[in-house]
Amino acid sequence: MVRSRMLPCVNLWLLVVLVFVPGASFGAEKSIKVGVYGGYFKDSFDKHIFPDFTKETGIQVESVAEPTGEAWLVQLEQAAKAGVAPADVNMIAQTPMLRGQKTNLWMALDLNKIPHHKNLLPVFIHKYPDGRVDGIGAVSWYITLVSNTRVFPQAPQSWAEMWAADKKDKLGLLALASNSFLLEVTATTFFGGTKLLDTREGIQKALDKLAALKPNVKLWYRDEAQFEQALKAGEIPMGQYYHDVATLAAKEHPVRSTFPKEGGILDSGIWAVTRACKKVEEAHVFINYMSRPDIQKKLALKVGTAPTVKRELTGLTDAEFAAVSSEIPPIVPRYDIYTGERSDWINQKWTEMITR
Amino acid sequence: MPGLYLENIEKRFGGVVAVREVTLELPQGRFVCFLGPSGCGKTTLLRLIAGLERPSRGRIFLDEEDITEQPAHRRRFGMVFQSLALFPHLTVEENIAYSLKIRNVAAAERRRRSEELLELVRLPGYGGRGIAQLSGGQRQRVAIARALAIEPRLFLLDEPLSALDAKLREEMQLELRLLQQRLGITTILVTHDQREAMSLADWIVVMGTDNRVHQTGTPLEIYRRPADAFVAGFIGTSNLLRGVLGKDGRVRVGGLALRVETLPAGMSPGGEVTLSIRPEEIPLLPGGREGENHLSGRVTFVRDVGASIEIHLDCGGIPLVSASTPKNRPDLRQGDAATAFLPPAACVVLAP
Amino acid sequence: MIAERPRGALARLPLLYPAVVLIVFFVIPFGIMLAVSFFRREPGGFYLAEFSLTNYANLFTALFGRVLAFSLFISAFCALLCVGLGFPFTYLLTRMPRPRQVVWLVLLVSVLSLSAVIVAFAWSIMLSQTAGVSNLLVRLKLLAEPRSWSPGFWALVCGMAYLAFPYTVLVLYPPLARLDPHLPEAARTLGASPLRTFFTVVVGSLRRAIIATLVMVFAFNLGTYLLPQILGRPQHWTLSVLITDEAIYRSNLPLAAAMAVFFMVVSLALVGLAMLGGRGRPGEEA
Repeated sequence: MVRSRMLPCVNLWLLVVLVFVPGASFGAEKSIKVGVYGGYFKDSFDKHIFPDFTKETGIQVESVAEPTGEAWLVQLEQAAKAGVAPADVNMIAQTPMLRGQKTNLWMALDLNKIPHHKNLLPVFIHKYPDGRVDGIGAVSWYITLVSNTRVFPQAPQSWAEMWAADKKDKLGLLALASNSFLLEVTATTFFGGTKLLDTREGIQKALDKLAALKPNVKLWYRDEAQFEQALKAGEIPMGQYYHDVATLAAKEHPVRSTFPKEGGILDSGIWAVTRACKKVEEAHVFINYMSRPDIQKKLALKVGTAPTVKRELTGLTDAEFAAVSSEIPPIVPRYDIYTGERSDWINQKWTEMITR
Repeated sequence: MPGLYLENIEKRFGGVVAVREVTLELPQGRFVCFLGPSGCGKTTLLRLIAGLERPSRGRIFLDEEDITEQPAHRRRFGMVFQSLALFPHLTVEENIAYSLKIRNVAAAERRRRSEELLELVRLPGYGGRGIAQLSGGQRQRVAIARALAIEPRLFLLDEPLSALDAKLREEMQLELRLLQQRLGITTILVTHDQREAMSLADWIVVMGTDNRVHQTGTPLEIYRRPADAFVAGFIGTSNLLRGVLGKDGRVRVGGLALRVETLPAGMSPGGEVTLSIRPEEIPLLPGGREGENHLSGRVTFVRDVGASIEIHLDCGGIPLVSASTPKNRPDLRQGDAATAFLPPAACVVLAP
Repeated sequence: MIAERPRGALARLPLLYPAVVLIVFFVIPFGIMLAVSFFRREPGGFYLAEFSLTNYANLFTALFGRVLAFSLFISAFCALLCVGLGFPFTYLLTRMPRPRQVVWLVLLVSVLSLSAVIVAFAWSIMLSQTAGVSNLLVRLKLLAEPRSWSPGFWALVCGMAYLAFPYTVLVLYPPLARLDPHLPEAARTLGASPLRTFFTVVVGSLRRAIIATLVMVFAFNLGTYLLPQILGRPQHWTLSVLITDEAIYRSNLPLAAAMAVFFMVVSLALVGLAMLGGRGRPGEEA
């Protein structure tokens, strides 16, 4: 799921504007427009990544703030129909990646022009069902089990502890099926893995199990800041949250982030290029640069993302690595179920479950 | 003694004095007019009586009961406002019966009473109408009926007729007067229109721009014997001549020594005085004449409005107005020489 | 003299302007929404410009009905609360000396300038167990131990009423300021106590303004989608929240549009009913 602290209200307007005013690509030779999630990510990239990239390659970068949710996808789609690309390379969340595939929105990438792809963990080479590569992992992060150390002196071990009776009205969880990945967490924790979610019956099982969790949930949040503040204060002393932000917060607040034994939730964004892109060469150069172990190390240290490349290549110390990632095998979200035929059904069931 | 008694009433709004040191006695059953120019405090005085304002100083008594602290809704005074203040969301009948409903009078009785009152103000059958459907004069009557519905101990009217056109106003004045006489209810009407006061009231309280009461009395007394120059000027038209009282008891105006019949007590020779002579008391003679209290001059303007004729003279710098009926019309035109006679009996000597 | 008719585009400009504004800012966006609501949703993708009624058919679920009912209920509830509190407040405000009125109005307008996010956060902190007002009540010995009142129904009511209150006062201010001050005075002289005067005359003569304000505040409240997420529990999420979820998080614009259109129709119907119920006597002044 997309992470940003921007509020989604403006997005519909952006959409309307984009439908009527297709943005044209301007700019001199050797420049590139990169779409990054607005807010924290864009600010960090503008500060730590893009200047060095320009210094090394001579390619000017103009960063574009992407709106949250899937509005950006809709904009890219509309723009591609008009033959323009609002940005040449886009940081795209997993679910919209799959949605874009349906309309053949993404340009197939040439791995030969991205030699550093060999460094990547296999999960970060994104492909069309027919095997064409349509995206390369950009950034990844973990959602873990966080808790307030004052309220819970003992660190939790398992996601299952959320269901415990002493957690009544104490949890803060993400509000949507497709950004909380709680179905995957439930399936992995209680039903032996996310394969459970292959069938409706399996999904229903996970939903029923989650329904039992409801009395323990005080806040179903969409806005990160709200939960973070309540977590620090101990108002809502447990929940799921972003590992890197929680680790950062732990320096000054009674907060800890734990990788449960079932694993943290690994979510990621992908660099993708729409078929309307006219700066294909520069786009490949950029993606290759971003896949370099040293750049991934820099991202881990400066931005707090988990590296997309193999750990040993990064040279991160144990402490540095632990601040952003874990050796415990992650729970990888089943993005496919949120884009497939069952997506509307899942969403409906999910909303019914939590609003009842 | 039954009636309304105001004792040394003063009202200040912030630093502004609206009513200054008013002590008044209003006998029961009278039709009283508070008369004065705008800003003289007459409406404030009425609102003090109604209990809508609290006096800054002084007490109010009704039939020897101190009502100074009594809230407005306990006083049972009927009041008609300048804006009429009819309730726009209620029908005519509901407006009239409002006070009855407050006092839990049964619906049938309310209906009967409001029909009776509508009859009284000559609007029978209007009960079901909305306020917006009435003409100005009709609203006036409804407002009066509503105020009378509580069987008020005092009937207060704040310039209720000022919004009406001249003809309707005169009709309503007459009706109001007849109504008051029929009901015998003590009534106070605030007005700035001296004609209205003269034709309605049997007792007038004249207030001045200094927010004091200048004179109280019957209309005729006030007209004939104004207490001071302000009253003389405000009530009707008057020739006001400034002069000095001589040792011989004559008043010197310009180079003339005018004889006056009576001198008010407490005036010493050498003091400045104002002479007031009503225009209709001044006969005019054509040509120049000599004699006691004769002023000769020239006609500057003739105003003939049919029912009366006004002739303006300039007598060596002293402007004079004379009024006469068409029957006694002197044959004078603008520019003619003429002489005015100021009868000693008509010369009222006032403090300056 | 016969007035000349305006000739040419230039002369008609003053008439064209409102039409253009209406078309650009209302008709076109609404038209797009209406059109999209009939488009066919492609699961996992976008939508196709094909006529389809499925979006509307998909609305008829218990979930949608419940959320719709709750949205209407809380909007109406908060509108009643705001007008109930705001009407006496505004009445007393209009009776104050002018300079003091201005101070109050400026304060209220400054509240309007706060974004819903700030308001929601402020309330969630104020009603929290760790830093909220309950701590104050504990110190005053009115409460045994600090409590958490957010998220919850009343937290949401607080937030919504807080946001709508200045709006309510600003809408009520002109009719109340225009109210003939002699009306309540007349009622007083007719024997009505101040309280009775307020209800029979002030409220009575402004009945239509009150209903109009209720309707406006109700409509204003219908749009709330941020507060329920922060101050409410999932059962307090309004339809606007669901619409946002569909549109933003699930890319199901056709369903979101259908929800919005249906919501609007129901709301307009309710507003129409309220207006009809509030119609005055023939000839009564507004």
